[in-house]
Amino acid sequence: MLADKDRIFQNLYGFQDWRLAGARKRGIWDGTKAILEKGPDAIVEEMKKSGLRGRGGAGFPTGLKWSFMPKQSDGRPSYLVVNADESEPGTCKDREILRHDPHTLIEGCLVAGFAMRAVAAFIYIRGEFIREREHMEEAVAEAYAAGLIGKNNVHGYDFDVIVHHGAGAYICGEETALIESLEGKKGMPRLKPPFPANVGLYGCPTTVNNVESIAVAPTILRRGAAWFAALGRPNNTGTKLFCISGHVNKPCNVEEEMGIPLRELIDRHAGGVRGGWDNLLAVIPGGSSVPLLPKSICDTVLMDFDSLRDVQSGLGTAAVIVMDKSTDIVRAIARLSYFYKHESCGQCTPCREGTGWMWRVMTRLVKGEAEVEEIDLLLEVTKQVEGHTICALGDAAAWPIQGLIRHFRPELERRIAQKRGAKPAIAAE
Amino acid sequence: MTKIIIDGKEYDLDPNLTLLQACEAAGKEIPRFCFHERLSIAGNCRMCLVEVRMGGRPGPKPVASCAQQLRDLPPVKEGQPLHEIVTGSPTVKKAREGVMEFLLINHPLDCPICDQGGECDLQDQAMAYGHDKLERFKENKRAVTEKNMGPLVKTIMTRCIHCTRCVRFAAEVAGVDEIGAIGRGEDMEITTYLEKAVTSELSGNIIDLCPVGALTSKPYAFNARPWELKKIESIDVMDALGANIRIDARGREVMRILPRNNDDVNEEWISDKTRFVWDGLKRQRLDRPYVRKDGKLTEADWPEAFAAIAARFATTKPERMAAIVGDLADAESIKALKDLMTALGVVNLDCRQDGAKIGLAPDGTRGPRAGYLFNSGIASVEAADALLLIGTNPRMEAPVLNARIRKAWLRGNLNIARLGPPADLNYPVCELGNNPADLIAIADGRHAAFETLKSAKHPMLIIGMGALARPDGAAVLAACAKIASATGMIGPEGEAGWNGFNLLHTAAARVAALDLGFLPGQGGRDTAGIVAGAGKGEIDTLFLLGADEIDTRALGKAFVIYLGSHGDKGAHRADIILPGAAYTEKPGTYVNIEGRVQRANRASFPPGEAKEDWTILRALSEVLGRKLPYDSLAQLREAMASDAPHVAQLDKAPGFPPADPAIWRAIGTAGPIDNAHPFVYPISDFYLTNPIARASATLAECSRSSAGRPLASAAE
Amino acid sequence: MRLLGRLFQLLFTWWNGATIGTLWTISRTGQLVGEDEQGNRYYQQRGGSRRWVVYNGYADASRVPPEWHPWLHHTLKEPPTLAPPKVKPWEKEHVPNMTGTPFAYRPPGSLAGTGARARGTGDYEAWKP
Repeated sequence: MLADKDRIFQNLYGFQDWRLAGARKRGIWDGTKAILEKGPDAIVEEMKKSGLRGRGGAGFPTGLKWSFMPKQSDGRPSYLVVNADESEPGTCKDREILRHDPHTLIEGCLVAGFAMRAVAAFIYIRGEFIREREHMEEAVAEAYAAGLIGKNNVHGYDFDVIVHHGAGAYICGEETALIESLEGKKGMPRLKPPFPANVGLYGCPTTVNNVESIAVAPTILRRGAAWFAALGRPNNTGTKLFCISGHVNKPCNVEEEMGIPLRELIDRHAGGVRGGWDNLLAVIPGGSSVPLLPKSICDTVLMDFDSLRDVQSGLGTAAVIVMDKSTDIVRAIARLSYFYKHESCGQCTPCREGTGWMWRVMTRLVKGEAEVEEIDLLLEVTKQVEGHTICALGDAAAWPIQGLIRHFRPELERRIAQKRGAKPAIAAE
Repeated sequence: MTKIIIDGKEYDLDPNLTLLQACEAAGKEIPRFCFHERLSIAGNCRMCLVEVRMGGRPGPKPVASCAQQLRDLPPVKEGQPLHEIVTGSPTVKKAREGVMEFLLINHPLDCPICDQGGECDLQDQAMAYGHDKLERFKENKRAVTEKNMGPLVKTIMTRCIHCTRCVRFAAEVAGVDEIGAIGRGEDMEITTYLEKAVTSELSGNIIDLCPVGALTSKPYAFNARPWELKKIESIDVMDALGANIRIDARGREVMRILPRNNDDVNEEWISDKTRFVWDGLKRQRLDRPYVRKDGKLTEADWPEAFAAIAARFATTKPERMAAIVGDLADAESIKALKDLMTALGVVNLDCRQDGAKIGLAPDGTRGPRAGYLFNSGIASVEAADALLLIGTNPRMEAPVLNARIRKAWLRGNLNIARLGPPADLNYPVCELGNNPADLIAIADGRHAAFETLKSAKHPMLIIGMGALARPDGAAVLAACAKIASATGMIGPEGEAGWNGFNLLHTAAARVAALDLGFLPGQGGRDTAGIVAGAGKGEIDTLFLLGADEIDTRALGKAFVIYLGSHGDKGAHRADIILPGAAYTEKPGTYVNIEGRVQRANRASFPPGEAKEDWTILRALSEVLGRKLPYDSLAQLREAMASDAPHVAQLDKAPGFPPADPAIWRAIGTAGPIDNAHPFVYPISDFYLTNPIARASATLAECSRSSAGRPLASAAE
Repeated sequence: MRLLGRLFQLLFTWWNGATIGTLWTISRTGQLVGEDEQGNRYYQQRGGSRRWVVYNGYADASRVPPEWHPWLHHTLKEPPTLAPPKVKPWEKEHVPNMTGTPFAYRPPGSLAGTGARARGTGDYEAWKP
């Protein structure tokens, strides 16, 4: 279990002052100038050594991502964009940072922006986050007033932080759609290549990072890459915010070491599964877009990128959705299908047409109004969507259903058989 | 050059090619819906998926080949095999079948009642790349309400596959941000802003771009099937650009007009007037000769009409006769009329109905050809970096050329200024006001525009008829020629050369007529002189070859012979009507603004007793006893070539004329420019500029619905 | 004599079913897939890379009925013997192309048909002074 001294987010629950004065007491903005004096390349090197992997879901090494930014400007400025469009169902970690620890993020913006030679950071906050935006804007104003950022600041690196408010579309959490939205266009993912590090916001080199990835950077640099790398497991280092929701006794957000066993995470921090561990049906370990895990896997699985990938799921945003045996699992996944159908941007064919199709079949499967062959059909449709789209939303829509069919196929077949039994008229057809 | 393996064979290709273009270069067909050569890349239909094997390993997932360039592929590692694009592997086939199935699940499959049926990309590709597991989709299909896109474009939006070609065309080529997608996911719908008609004169092109039957032609709806149409390659005469068109006819009827690809002229766009004028070919047709008896036009036969003309000509002296050529005439009939009039000794000839002061040198002899051409060539507009529009509104006068200017502006640093009344162009223009005398200031270097033009690498002038069709037009032309030579616009001759002195004509017949010298001879009258003379009784007999744009009410008591295809102003005033052929009904030669000679083919036959114009003139010449020396079209064309040799060189622009100062001094007549009369654009209603367009109900509807919108020029 | 004629037919006339040579090749490489109502026999190369039909009688491509047509053209994987298409109640019987025979379709007004021609309507509007 993570010791209190190793916690990066010390005001995760908002018991202390979130403003600048309180943040300074927790050590934020302490020695930032010394960090910057190491120089951009040293910072990037340190980040690479820390082994920090992006906290937005894909788990791409953060230091490596920063190193893709051009070292020499060709006349275009570089930008840092912070993805605070946290909309993944089950995920609620970034909002706590925005509300209760905004200065960790602002300091992170400065450090990360300096490391990638950016002139400004744009924080794109989800449309529904009202209080979060207010806190963030106020914190940015404080930082400007205190000369921590802005022109001629105390750190000697001119840097702007701009808070932007989204309009509440899930797809704007995709990095290129976020850039489009930031530019004032319809939030639709762009084609890659060119990658944002080459042509991003307003055609300039841009790096898009998750809030958590940026917010942990100053602490890592203050305490050293070795400290961070010592936590967790190899290739899955450091601490991580876990969001535990669903059928647990005490749903919570908690910062824990990477690689903690799922069972320990739930039992220790969330007060255990409602009705005891044996009452567990399944867990979605990383936000709605990763395949679920049945209890048999949950017993032993570790919570990090590689372990979960090995059981054909993913860490995603580490939003643990716990479902006990009272759950109608098919209906739960059907509801997720509806979500993806609703949030598909409609740009490319497989996702636009496929999400609707999958949702409709799922709706029928909930009641068992389908043929057994349609389970295979559904699986094939998810495969037809997966990997054929511009962005990852198509994959995200396909995976929960694939997980359901992989682990709960007998349940689907049972419902179909039950429906047939109840209504012989259909069977006679 | 990049080396790449495509389906097992190695190729060496330009790294800027997309994977799709590379596969095409290798002769592989890649299905596509959203990709279009002249539009930006959307990459959203996902039909063009291919597999890219890097270093011999299968790719992680299929790649949209339209969206990636060869140079985007990571460099080949030392000692590893080249990257390979596989277009036919089972993975690719499965991916394409999947995408095709997704496209079809919400497509109504109403091909039997769809106007696109038979020429539909979705139909063709479903045959080639579709699934054989039919009827897997058991849910209800999506239905989308129809959208109003104005009188030209019919929408059946349920058929839409969201390729966004129309959206990209409107935003990029037409320059109107009026088509877009609303909603998202499967509720995404393509619509126009507030369901209004698209305020573009190129809107018809979205019909061609639409790969399915979602956007179809409203006037053509349910009229014909593509396989029953006879397709004839022809040339457009609605403006002077000479757009390449394909006329689709069924029997005698022209059913529709489509663009042909010609990168040097119209790329693959045509204006709405070109596309939708075809119903004008069926209305107001002159289908038999008429002779005015006791003040009333009565039906006659050919010998009777010819006899009446012969009787009139026998009693008229040549100096009291005149002939005017209209805007739509083909070079052959102009040549025949010129020969006939010359044989009769008539010198009062003119082809400049609008009175533009072009084609004549100061001494009244024929001026240099460079003085009335679009010398840079149409395609070279894209190379220009500074452009001064003088009394012209290209959006009305040549919409496709205007799209080319917009393309050049979109690409980069084209600096555009205008001397003339403000009118909405779809690119930003620096307004220099509307003082014609400023031209002299620019020519003398006393104006800021002079420096801009002089410092540009490829400066360009476009001089419209609005600046030249005025009493001081010759002085305007001279001032423009002076600007051209003073700013170094007339560069060296040949491939690497440049000539930015451009005239933009509004009449398709004009350049050919000027080439053939249909101009006042020694002591002859020009159009204004002929009309005034007729009014005063100094001209007794007037021959109009499809000339309707003159003031026919001012012709006094003159005896008017009208040869044309449509009953318009000229026919109403005429004393004898000879029914001729419209441009779709005769093989003809047309010379466009850049001097490119193009031939049109006959798509159908003239109605009733109407004949091809030159044959009428040939027959008339025999009755008049001045038999023209050609019996066939080939002989006439030979005669034309001996008059003007370049008219025999088909589809070839003349290239940049030499920078000989003598030529440039002979253009226009230096003189004072009247500042009291600002420039006025020649076209006030884009849709109704000629007799055929005025006969068209579709274009009349367009004209009505466009009244009051910004499209209508400020000259009104 | 009659036998000789039949032999001649079998040897040379490829338009009446298959010649002996073709039948020999088919017996070696081909695999019978099925037969339609008219007795046309459908073969595929062993392994399924090529598909062909041997007509029962005169060779005329339009004699291939709709259920076999897509299989023959590689549009469907399964032949109708294995996956019979659903027949809709409104579907008509297949008729081969009759053009060139006395049963050919003649549009109303055709001279070869009834000979009586409907009065043509003008396809243009004439101008009247």
